[in-house]
Amino acid sequence: MIRRVLFNLMAWAIVLAVAFPLFWMVVTSLKPQSELFRRPPTILPEVTTFEHYWRLLSETNFLTYFQNSVVLSVVTTVVVVSIATLGAYSIVRFKYWGRESLAFLVLFTYLLPSVVLIIPLYLMLVGLGLSNTIFSLVIAYTTFALPYALWLLRSFMAGIPEDLESAALVDGASRMGAFRDVILPQLLPGIISTALFTFILSWNEYLYALVLVNSDNTRPLTTGVMNMLISSFNVEWSLLMAASVMMSVPLIIVFAFLQSYLTRGFGAGGVKG
Amino acid sequence: MADVVFKNVHKKFGDFIAVEGLDLSIEEGEFVSLLGPSGCGKTTTLRMLAGLEFPSSGEISIGDRVVNDLPPGKRDIAMVFQSYALYPHMSVEKNIAYPLKKRGVPRSEQGPMIARVAEMLQLTPLLSRKPRQLSGGQQQRVALGRALVRDPKVFLLDEPLSNLDAKLRGIMRAELVELHQRLGRTMVYVTHDQLEAMTMSDRIAVMYDKKLQQFAPPQEVYREPANRFVAGFIGMPSMNLIDGDLSQEGDRWMFRSGSISVPVGPLVADARGGEACLGVRPENLLLGEGPTPAVVQLVERTGHENIVVVEIEGGLRMTGRVPASTDWKTGETIQMSIQSEAAHVFAAGPTGRRLNIASVAVRP
Ligand SMILES: Nc1ncnc2c1ncn2[C@@H]1O[C@H](COP(=O)(O)OP(=O)(O)O)[C@@H](O)[C@H]1O
Ligand SMILES: [Mg+2]
Repeated sequence: MIRRVLFNLMAWAIVLAVAFPLFWMVVTSLKPQSELFRRPPTILPEVTTFEHYWRLLSETNFLTYFQNSVVLSVVTTVVVVSIATLGAYSIVRFKYWGRESLAFLVLFTYLLPSVVLIIPLYLMLVGLGLSNTIFSLVIAYTTFALPYALWLLRSFMAGIPEDLESAALVDGASRMGAFRDVILPQLLPGIISTALFTFILSWNEYLYALVLVNSDNTRPLTTGVMNMLISSFNVEWSLLMAASVMMSVPLIIVFAFLQSYLTRGFGAGGVKG
Repeated sequence: MADVVFKNVHKKFGDFIAVEGLDLSIEEGEFVSLLGPSGCGKTTTLRMLAGLEFPSSGEISIGDRVVNDLPPGKRDIAMVFQSYALYPHMSVEKNIAYPLKKRGVPRSEQGPMIARVAEMLQLTPLLSRKPRQLSGGQQQRVALGRALVRDPKVFLLDEPLSNLDAKLRGIMRAELVELHQRLGRTMVYVTHDQLEAMTMSDRIAVMYDKKLQQFAPPQEVYREPANRFVAGFIGMPSMNLIDGDLSQEGDRWMFRSGSISVPVGPLVADARGGEACLGVRPENLLLGEGPTPAVVQLVERTGHENIVVVEIEGGLRMTGRVPASTDWKTGETIQMSIQSEAAHVFAAGPTGRRLNIASVAVRP
């Protein structure tokens, strides 16, 4: 009994600790400048204002950054999920030399700290003439999202009975047909979780974006917002909080809809992988 | 006319041999069972026929056409999987419609075909359900429906009843036999259950240890087993197999093992004396009369008869069947004898061939 109460208390303490900064972010973005630094602080704003949002949208590059981030994350997600799905299918279904070691090698690359790879990757992208493009970020993010995606989808794929595919072949489907009609629908939860992981990763990535891209019309939200609102002399707290809220909104919406798939993804990666 | 032919087919997975030197010729419209213990290569054989595995060497043909290089969809076969392999995201109706769709049957013609099969298998009220909302028996029917909806040349079934409970299995057995009679199509049926094979098949292909052991009608497999393995595998309770020694005395053959000494024969011309095995069906063990004393070890009452295990001098145990009216107790000593004219003799080894000439009179 006591243990349950303690456990509940602890759980709630953690929830509060995580939720409070988010709450403070929203509240701060709605306070007028004058109320921002008042002591003692007001918990709920006395006057609610959307002026920071308006300024952000009308006077800054925010929308360009936002658009860059959307393009970047969507393209990366599509590329990573497509390659990982086909790769996982190959590793699970076909027998060829080095199949298992390949799977482990892929995981091994994931153990390498990505910071180590920035410089060589940057030089390669410059060599390809891709420096300072959104596409260079797509490539960079693919290099570190793909191994994990492959690993995750592999365990989902392994859970699909081979008989299903055999049945489709006997029923007259081609291999591609069987893949499309039978494997893909079964793989959907795995694909959705993988897509979410990749999307979130690309949406929140900062370091590579900072190094690889430095012109205003190619910057994604993370570096764009930092660059514009945080300088050595000043932090535009209100705008920063408003930008943060707007950055989070797409993720929150996606999460709300696909939450159950995501937790399943954690399960698959953790238990079987 | 032979409909399905395996010609010296081998299958290897890497270094592991799964099927060895298979020669099998199945007639059109025949119901053939591939029967054998688990791991003997039945499923591999069926999958090669389906085109899901490719033989390492040899030739497979269906209806005069060598199909070695044809993909499954081009072989004009339908298959029922042990796991049923129903498409989980499709309704029953979509499952049954899938093979039609993949073969380009116009949508307007699909409806009546699905309705006919659903009617036949009593699936009509379930058409809109998803597979996971069905019982095992119902799922089995859907799997059957998906195979029956077309009119393929050959039906392949891989242990389709093994996941059903005993009662349902009995019902489905009868239904499959009826279905086969109605359709008149060639059916190849994989099972490890001899009762299924015995009751349903025109011919049984008994497999063991990667090889075909015997291919014959059920009665023949029972009465004239080709070798020791078939003799021991077919029949419930199984045949008593007694290791001993075969010798020629004058113009007749004698089999000896411990206190047992019985005349056997006639044997094949090239039979040799030495190590051999005597095979006696439980019904050919005469219990309650005869010269040999035996101690009752176990009495199993099945209702209409009793299965009795006895032990004779030297510790040899044998099984016999007697009418239910006998009421021997465990530990009781009775007399027994072996009906030697109905006994078989096999050469040494797990698959030693039968040495006695076939069609010995078998008393009921
Ligand atoms: N894809 C495969 N790879 C390697 N070995 C296999 C494969 N399929 C079957 N085998 C092996 O071949 C043997 C025969 O298998 P199978 O035909 O499934 O037996 P059965 O259906 O008679 O139980 C088994 O020992 C099995 O482990
Ligand atoms: Mg099998």
